[in-house]
Amino acid sequence: MQVRKRALVTGGSAGLGAAAVSWLQANNYDVVVLDRDQPLSGKAPVNFISCDLASRTELDNVMPELIAAGPYDLIFLNAGINVTGRFERIDARAHIDVIRINAEAPMVITARLFEAGAIRRGAAAVFVSSMSHFTGYPGAASYAASKDALAIYAKSMRRYAKTAGVTLTVAFPGPLKTNHAEQHAPEGADASKRMDADEAANLILTDALAGRRTSIPGPANRIFAVIGRIAPKPVTALMRKLIYDRLKPGM
Amino acid sequence: MIGAKPRRILITGGNTGLGLALAKKLARRHQLLLSGRKSQDEVAGMLPPGAGYVVADQSDPESSARALVRGIGEFGWDGLHNAVLNAGTGTAPADSVDSTEAIRRSLDVNLLAALLQAQALYPLLEKSRGTLTLIGSLAHKGYATIPAYAASKAGLHGLARALRSEWKGAVSVQVLHPGPSKTDMHDKAGYDPGLMRSLFLAPDDVASMMASAIAARRSPVTLSWVRYLNGGAYTGRRL
Repeated sequence: MQVRKRALVTGGSAGLGAAAVSWLQANNYDVVVLDRDQPLSGKAPVNFISCDLASRTELDNVMPELIAAGPYDLIFLNAGINVTGRFERIDARAHIDVIRINAEAPMVITARLFEAGAIRRGAAAVFVSSMSHFTGYPGAASYAASKDALAIYAKSMRRYAKTAGVTLTVAFPGPLKTNHAEQHAPEGADASKRMDADEAANLILTDALAGRRTSIPGPANRIFAVIGRIAPKPVTALMRKLIYDRLKPGM
Repeated sequence: MIGAKPRRILITGGNTGLGLALAKKLARRHQLLLSGRKSQDEVAGMLPPGAGYVVADQSDPESSARALVRGIGEFGWDGLHNAVLNAGTGTAPADSVDSTEAIRRSLDVNLLAALLQAQALYPLLEKSRGTLTLIGSLAHKGYATIPAYAASKAGLHGLARALRSEWKGAVSVQVLHPGPSKTDMHDKAGYDPGLMRSLFLAPDDVASMMASAIAARRSPVTLSWVRYLNGGAYTGRRL
């Protein structure tokens, strides 16, 4: 019989996180889910730890429990929110939440788990950034900032992680078929072009377990990322056309 | 166009380091309002003559943005030609793993404060068709000894890229990435660069490169030795 492994998934109750939980359970992992909302019923049970990552106090309070639930063979730092609209019109509070949930919380969790020795030697850590790292994201400026910060934090931590025997993978998914992405897609966007969350989770976790530094799920996204790197300005201009110019009136 | 008449320029973190070096360079030709964490009394006599000063503590991002807007109003300005969001902090953790406090402070001071200030200053910048300049760092591409700092500067890079596109035609947005310079930042961060320090650029030279990059409104711009050796501190546009 295989030895059960242990994984942590933040934001595991919905979207890409929930897809990762299913994949991990099917691959012999016991899963700890850190999320604000309970996972949907009907799925295999997980060890659920409730936390609103926008709250520093809540995160500090659950950190000991999160460490005690380890040590982990895989961590999947996925929890995130998006806020779309004209930057100057978005409520300042929403900008703050985006930075706290998408960048600050996963950075704090990573640092504290490493420090406590709660990530096993040989483990893989996944940081879910965004395709916007390569393309720019007018219409979601604070989101783009948060995802760039997370990607570079992971890159900066790689040297330390190596000494701890842990591989760090930064995932840059493009648009996904999740309820959350639906809310932030521009009006009239073609949902069929967005990637299925299960497929994205499979590709990302396969890359992570192979120890790859980056994971860009899907050939179309990979091409887009390459073009974005070669010609960041035209691609950002294209993103403006696709997203910012199609923002709903009043946003 | 640029340089024709005095401009109204706000520089955050203008009481020390690169911010102060830039302020001294611009004070002769432009109207300046500087901000910092220290009180009016503490900075008295240190600032260039004629420059205004407003206390805005970046470690509380929301109130720092409000303080700047209030300070600009009290200074009698109804518009802003340039906002140089330069204030920043860094910590070099002993074992490369940042404390929770250092992660939060880096993100608050370097990223979130600049983000909320950019939002709060937008109407003033728009009115003067001004330029928003975010001061990043060479470390924005990742740096193993200062992960949280590098992340906060990467955030500024992403913010500038999105905003430059969003505000096109209304406000110019740029991010400048200076390399290490001989300021007291490394001491404050608890990092001893040792002999490397002799390779750091003088703050005055970096400030010269900042000024010409601001006048040129390009983005992103890296201000390091390569640019310096190409005459970056002596040539280029004048602000």
